[in-house]
Formats: sequence, structure tokens, C-alpha cells
Amino acid sequence: MIPFVAVVSLRGRESRTLRIWVPLILLWLLLVPVVLVLSPLIFIGCFLCPVNPFRAFSVAWQILRALSDTECEIEHRSAGVSICVF
Amino acid sequence: MNEHRRQILQMLSEGKINADEAERLIAALEEPSAGKSSDNVSGSEGKARPKYLRVQVDSEDDGGRDGPTKVNVRVPMQLLRAGVKLAGLIPAQALHRANDAIHEQGIPFDLTQIKPENLEELIDQLSDLSVDVDQKDQESKVKVKVFCE
Repeated sequence: MIPFVAVVSLRGRESRTLRIWVPLILLWLLLVPVVLVLSPLIFIGCFLCPVNPFRAFSVAWQILRALSDTECEIEHRSAGVSICVF
Repeated sequence: MNEHRRQILQMLSEGKINADEAERLIAALEEPSAGKSSDNVSGSEGKARPKYLRVQVDSEDDGGRDGPTKVNVRVPMQLLRAGVKLAGLIPAQALHRANDAIHEQGIPFDLTQIKPENLEELIDQLSDLSVDVDQKDQESKVKVKVFCE
């Protein structure tokens, strides 16, 4: 399953936490037409490299799917950042 | 009591074999079953493949200027696998260039020899990985932990 939501938490010096929910599903929906429009250019680029475009697409899709459950957290006295992908 | 064991004991009672031989025969009978049971144990434990690679860094600054810093990263193993597959897409020309650069640094390593199967195996073996680094000096103390869970 591709990630649907990313939660970005930002903590400032005043220990107030700002939590941002990023709906990745909207991003994917926006990106699909862009990828479709640019696909001829992507294919040409792949043939020039040379990289199998279908294999490249397959790997990109696998990376996208594997992004779920990724978590990165950095805490410092003055600030903290946390990114979770669901 | 199973049939084979009974036969061994009968041969012992009839004096066809001595006690040592009987013991060896019984031990030989038990070996395969012991092997099976150990396989089952290792199998059940071995199949619990780790899902995440975790990197934790704890830095304590004793000087009090920066304060402690904590880093906690959790990467799904699946992402590592996909990343490894991405490495398989690198064109041969780029690999040769990278090889030349590596050789220039005096490292005898050939990237073209790495096959996707080897990398898959490498990722599988990461389940046993555990790295602990403790660094202490006058001003700071840093702990780095890399493990799979």
C-alpha cells in the first residue's frame, strides 16, 4: 500500500508543537496526470541513459510502496522535528 | 515405546548386542528426531524476519552549550530492498566510472560483480545486525545504536 498521510511535527523553543498532516494521497492524485503527460519524455530519457523504463517504473513503485511506516525523529533542546509516513 | 527401540532392547536381552551397542543404536534412532525438533525451533525463530532498520543516536553535551540531541530513524526493510533494486538500474557506464573512482582511492572493489541476488542476501543477513558505538570525551557523550526489529 502506498503511503496516504505524512505527519510532520515541529517543536519550537517554546515547546509548542505544530503538527501538520500532509495528505499524500492528494499529492499522488496530482502527480498521476503529470507523470502521464511527461511519460514520453521519461521514456526518451530512459532510452538515452540506457535504462529499462518498465523496470525503472517498477522500482519506483516499489520504493513508493515501501515508504509506509518510515519514521524520522530529531530532538534537540531548542527544537524538534518528526516525520512519520503512514 | 516405538518398534525400533523395542527391537534393540530385545536384542540386548537376548545377548545379541551389549549395552554399549544398544546405547549407540538408541542414540542413532534419536538423532533424526532431535534434528527435526531443532529445525522446528530454528525455523519458527528464523521466520520472524525483522521489519525495520532502526538507527538511534543519543548525544549528551556535558558542556551545556547545545544540550542533548536525540535522533531516531526507522526505515522499513522493504525500502532497503527497493533501494537495492534501484542500484541494479545503474547503467554499466556509470558503474565503470564509479569503479575507476574506487580504484583510484586504492580500494580493490568491483561494483560490476555485485548481483541483485547478493544484495538481497545481504539485506536478509541484516536481521542479525546490531551496532553499538559509545563515544565519550571531555565535553560530550555520544551513543549510536543500529539494529533491526
